[in-house]
Amino acid sequence: MKKILALLMALTMVFCFAACGGNETPAPNGDEQPASDLAYIQDKGTLIVGVTPYAPMDFLDENGEWTGFDAEYARAVAAKLNVEAEFIEIDWDNKVYELESKNIDVVWNGMTITDGLKKQMAITDPYVQNAQVVVMRADKAAEYATAESIVDLTFAVESGSAGESYAKDNGLTYTGLQYQSDALLEVEAGKADACIIDITMANSMTGEGTSYDDLAQAVVLNEEFYGVGCRVDSDLCAKINEITDELIADGTLDLLAEKYELTLVK
Amino acid sequence: MFWTVTSSLLEGFAKTVEIFGLTLLFAIPLGLVIAFGSMSRIAPIKWVSKTLVWIIRGTPLLLQLIVVFYGPGLIAAAAQDLNSSNAIIQWVATWTGFDRFTAVIVAFVINYACYFSEIYRGGIESISKGQYEACQVLGMTKTQTFFRVILFQVIKRIIPPMGNEIITLVKDTSLARTIAVYEIVWNAQSFIKFNGLLWPLLYSGLFYLIFSGLLTVVFGKIEKKMDYFKS
Repeated sequence: MKKILALLMALTMVFCFAACGGNETPAPNGDEQPASDLAYIQDKGTLIVGVTPYAPMDFLDENGEWTGFDAEYARAVAAKLNVEAEFIEIDWDNKVYELESKNIDVVWNGMTITDGLKKQMAITDPYVQNAQVVVMRADKAAEYATAESIVDLTFAVESGSAGESYAKDNGLTYTGLQYQSDALLEVEAGKADACIIDITMANSMTGEGTSYDDLAQAVVLNEEFYGVGCRVDSDLCAKINEITDELIADGTLDLLAEKYELTLVK
Repeated sequence: MFWTVTSSLLEGFAKTVEIFGLTLLFAIPLGLVIAFGSMSRIAPIKWVSKTLVWIIRGTPLLLQLIVVFYGPGLIAAAAQDLNSSNAIIQWVATWTGFDRFTAVIVAFVINYACYFSEIYRGGIESISKGQYEACQVLGMTKTQTFFRVILFQVIKRIIPPMGNEIITLVKDTSLARTIAVYEIVWNAQSFIKFNGLLWPLLYSGLFYLIFSGLLTVVFGKIEKKMDYFKS
């Protein structure tokens, strides 16, 4: 088995060198040199996705197959491109080099969009939002729209959660509880003025038609958005945006978001 | 790390002992009141006591803690949503309930008082009718009979079941963490959450073991002291 693997790797390397050589000498006619990144990917028939184990975005299931929100999303996009999605585990710190060296075609792993990354890769429109949100009685929520306005309130947070780190780092008065759901109960029962919980949970458990219909979201803290990273100037980026719009329109992404309990950005 | 854990556990254990002590302080006398209620010849009092004991013994302490702590606030929230001008509803809407620690003590005292009351009742009813009759013949009043003749015999008989219940109380205090009163198990579990360490939880067991060991010794001594009553 190991010998076969070694042989395969050796062969791959030979092909790689061959490919490199091919690129160095200018092609006699334009057809051999792929016109664009998108064409290059469709030409080879695979979309190589760089991932790390990061549930619920990308993780290995019991059969050793990559799954998760991003994995299923990437497969859906690949299907629309008529290519096969292939997952490669990368070192997260090297994602930009992996892209540039064409070891992978996209970074698709719950990647938070930052200004720094925007300079190093082409990033799609945000598709998933992650944040901590302050939840309180609906009649007061409007008064607390900024991070400064909440400093005098008392908070309930889940012990060990991102909400607790925020409360601790910002010197808020808070009580740590066993579960995020307890934090909501504390607010409902008037034991705390507000709680800090994941926005996904806040969306599904507060507001009209939920059991906490008199609670509402106030200020959103530590907001971040996930995007898919492509090579700089790649036309794949615009194509993924286009396909994403289709997947939102036909409800595919909504189903996935529900399955993995995430908040879509539309 | 060992000292960090030990000092954190000791801090939690102080809370545990506090809950334990305050519960005993109030539940022991309250239990007697409930026991008399259950034995009362006045039907409504008897009925109320028996129903209370049935509800408290028939539901988990965990549930009672949650009801005592969150209940008043939730009822107030519901009352606020009614927006009624009714004076009672407006009054209910201002309820805030107990703070965490008080809620724990209230729930524990009621719960343990009910268990104690049944132990007391068993003890009191085990005293033979002949002794009451003898006291009557000697011209003692009912109060004199109870405090001078019956009580110490009852105490001797209820020591073993009370010891049982009190040792259970030591371990039940860990339920306080469900409403975020940070006792020893909460502190031990936070080491699992933040440091991935299981041993502090096992280590906390040692604190319980030593404490209940001490209680066992104390109860043994009390039983010996009571030996001069031959029953």
